[in-house]
Amino acid sequence: MTDLRPWTAAALYGALWGAMEATAGTALHLGRVPLRGEIMGLLGLLCLVCLRRLQPRVGVVLTAGVVAIFLKVFTLGGLYPGPLVGIALQALAVELAFLVAPGPWAAALGGAVALGTNPVQRVITAWILGGTEAATAVLRAVGELGGVDPVVVLGAAVGLAAALGAVGGALAWRLAGRVRRRLGGGS
Amino acid sequence: MRLAAALVLAAAVAAAFTPRIEVAAAAAAAALVAAWRLDRGAVRAVARFSLVLGVAFAAAVAAAAVAWSSGLAPGLRVGGTVLLRLVVLAVAASVVARKVDVERLLRAAERLGLERLGLLLGLSLNALPHLTHTATTVWTAHRLRSGGRWRSMRRLPELAEVLLAHTARVADRAAAAAALRGHTALIRVTAPITTTARIVVVTGRPGGGKTPVVAAAAEELGRRGIRVVGFLQPAVVEDGRKVGFELRDAATGETAELARRVEAGEGMHGTSFVFAQAGFELGRRALAAAAPGVVLVVDEIGPVELRGGGHWPAVRRALAVSGVRGAVVVVRRALVPSLLVALDATDAVVVDLEDPDVDDPVAAIVNTLIFNS
Repeated sequence: MTDLRPWTAAALYGALWGAMEATAGTALHLGRVPLRGEIMGLLGLLCLVCLRRLQPRVGVVLTAGVVAIFLKVFTLGGLYPGPLVGIALQALAVELAFLVAPGPWAAALGGAVALGTNPVQRVITAWILGGTEAATAVLRAVGELGGVDPVVVLGAAVGLAAALGAVGGALAWRLAGRVRRRLGGGS
Repeated sequence: MRLAAALVLAAAVAAAFTPRIEVAAAAAAAALVAAWRLDRGAVRAVARFSLVLGVAFAAAVAAAAVAWSSGLAPGLRVGGTVLLRLVVLAVAASVVARKVDVERLLRAAERLGLERLGLLLGLSLNALPHLTHTATTVWTAHRLRSGGRWRSMRRLPELAEVLLAHTARVADRAAAAAALRGHTALIRVTAPITTTARIVVVTGRPGGGKTPVVAAAAEELGRRGIRVVGFLQPAVVEDGRKVGFELRDAATGETAELARRVEAGEGMHGTSFVFAQAGFELGRRALAAAAPGVVLVVDEIGPVELRGGGHWPAVRRALAVSGVRGAVVVVRRALVPSLLVALDATDAVVVDLEDPDVDDPVAAIVNTLIFNS
């Protein structure tokens, strides 16, 4: 018999992530809070890493991502593609990271890839909504603001976000260990 | 007519993302008309001030960015396109959000052959208010205990730990509840136990005397020369209160602690108990004595076993022994359907202690195993 607790856990952690996206995410977005994408990315990462540490089964992280997207769609304006693309990329990154690396390294790698895609994801969202012109405009605007080549600025942003994600992933792994001990599952 | 409107809305979402602004404008108009036909409330919901402001702001930012880099005309065109696409998306999301219903979702998923995904999405929707309420309560308690913004920020990891652990417990309870309701999509049996042994399922309410009945039946079978192996799980009572369970080998009488009641929220596997490995080990040894001609006693099978854990692997091995005469399995009434699925036992005899037609449950068990084997 297959133990399907991992899937109910995926549903619940996906629901928690979706709820945070729909409440805190919306509040941060409407408040135009700086680094809101990174803040929400770290919260999502915490959910995903904790889920994968408690239920080490292939596919649970992607399932949680599907649930979070599903719940995000059912909020007003939920079909706005930015957060949906972000959630999908983040779940995919963490799932793949745990396939190729062990424990804490996977958490750090997943975090780095998940948050590292954030700056690129903004360009992708601009392209989906406004076409090539809008995406180019975003890149040009970034370049002119910094006074340097847009690709360099984008690369630097990706690097910083990835570093933040790696640290966030490692901390999420530690916190997940504490959650597991709290649940009586050993260290 | 409603189906046509739904199709128009879906087509409008697709058309909105073609490169031409004229098509996007037509798509927005079509989406509004279709949404009006489907659900007028959804269109009114989109007309909320904050949402209109957000959409206008996003379009203005896009227009300004493109105008700055490519000129006014392209800027206006891109801004208009973004505005129209966001209107279409908001209208579609509003209609879908107002139509979502867990039961409808489950039915749609079943039709598509995705019952498990449907159950998981339904579960997440059902859990959402509970999780949101818990998060609010935990946050309020956290702020009150912390005394000051800086201290509350420093204790954020602790807050996250509590919330994540709570979510895991709710997930465990949800899995157990699904098993209790006999949701076979969530307790999928990849390899049901197939056995030729006669299965007698003993059930009844908690504290209804299932264990004493099975113990008496085991004694009676022994008196009639039938060897009984397996285990019983009598409750441990202290000061009139059930504080746990011990496990007793039905053949040797050896006992070991199996479960101990703990404070609410501290139990394992979504229960109010912590389990002792010694009890599972004794259960495994007791069932390992299965041999041709014996009757197995399994008291009892719970949600943990029906998810493949606990005693289940030992039960599987014991029932796989060729020539086992029969098995008496104790289970709560709500778990009977799940157990029957797991045992692939459509001809099992169910002895319900609450059933007024069952005058002598011990005789019912013994007679089934002696005369119908």
